[in-house]
Amino acid sequence: MPVPILKQGKVLIACIQAALTDEDLVRLKDDLAEGVGQHRSSGVVIDVSALDVLDSFATRMLRSIAQMTKLRGAETVIVGIQPDVAFAMVQLGLVLENVQTALDLEEGLELIAARAKERQA
Amino acid sequence: MAAKQSVQTRRAQLTVQDIERRKKLVGLGQDDLARIAAIKSTVVQNADKFTDAFFDYLKELEGGAPLFKNAAVLNEARQLKREHIIAIASGDYGVPYVDQRMRLGALYSKVGLDVQVFLGAFHHLLRSIGTEIIKSSGNTMQAFDSFMSLQKVAFLDIGIIVDVLIDERERTINEQQEAIREISTPCLQIRDRLLILPIIGLIDSQRAKQLTDNLLHAIRANRAKVVVMDITGVAAVDSKVANHLIQTVAAARLMGAETIVTGLSAEVAQSLVALGVDLSKVNTVGDLQGGLEAAEKLLGYRIVVLDKNSRATEAA
Repeated sequence: MPVPILKQGKVLIACIQAALTDEDLVRLKDDLAEGVGQHRSSGVVIDVSALDVLDSFATRMLRSIAQMTKLRGAETVIVGIQPDVAFAMVQLGLVLENVQTALDLEEGLELIAARAKERQA
Repeated sequence: MAAKQSVQTRRAQLTVQDIERRKKLVGLGQDDLARIAAIKSTVVQNADKFTDAFFDYLKELEGGAPLFKNAAVLNEARQLKREHIIAIASGDYGVPYVDQRMRLGALYSKVGLDVQVFLGAFHHLLRSIGTEIIKSSGNTMQAFDSFMSLQKVAFLDIGIIVDVLIDERERTINEQQEAIREISTPCLQIRDRLLILPIIGLIDSQRAKQLTDNLLHAIRANRAKVVVMDITGVAAVDSKVANHLIQTVAAARLMGAETIVTGLSAEVAQSLVALGVDLSKVNTVGDLQGGLEAAEKLLGYRIVVLDKNSRATEAA
């Protein structure tokens, strides 16, 4: 099932609804890479609150999405990692270095807004 | 109530096979049952007398006092003991019998009767039963054999009662440990979106896991953005504990919360450096006050001291 990508102002929101296959993740990456340029977005929020598992491949994909969107001028924030998922990831050594994380969508949008302001200043 | 629950759980554990195994351990066989049947009438007739002997002896003992404090409990114990004395000679040692034993054991445990005291009184009971059997029988040798058979059942009883007493004690210890764990890792919100997590005492891996778990759920529940973790009360931090702290910080970050660790004492700091633990990814501040100030700064708070005049207007 492909992940719907919503546009909200200058931000793209990818809301993951259900467990994803590896192909879905790759596709999400491609779509976001495309979308960031197309919509001239300044930020990307990926909501993973519906996921109760984040494996190494998913983590790697999220990390590469973040790096890639940065290269295209948009900040990525991962939001809604569940407590148990966070703990499991840390125990497996899957730490999202250099990737912004936030509690939920609201926080994520706020973070991106703050970043945009910083850049303007 | 607690005692009753425990009997319930033990009852679930004690299966028919388990009872059979216990019987085998004390060597209770068919010929024993036949011999016990022969002395059944003697025991049943004197049940009241034996009950009295047991409780009279217990009363004299120093450690027997707890049982005599409460009349209702004593009555229940007497009742159960009398039932037991009749049952011990009945020849049927199935689940109901074991159940009855466990009820009595739970009662002893509830009033806090010591195992030694119980064993002393139980031995006295056996002696009075044995004396009676030999007195009422013409053939001493035969009476002795019967009594030995009865004693096998008695040892079966002791096994069960001691198990119940140990079980109860372990349960109490577990409960207390649980209580200590519960109270020792509070996660407190002191400002909007700011949590403090004071850690006191020893951190073992189980507690560390629970601590992390508590914190992560609290971050979610309170929508926390900054967490101040104070480890002033942790006497020793080894590499394992440090690792747990790093993991906790990383997990909190994944949930969008920044963690500030405070209260590393001089010794702890030195030992961490000596161990070569890399705490560079962890934001550390000397004491809790400094940590709170740093957290407030992160959240955009500014503390302003009001001058006297405005304080007066505020009060009014």
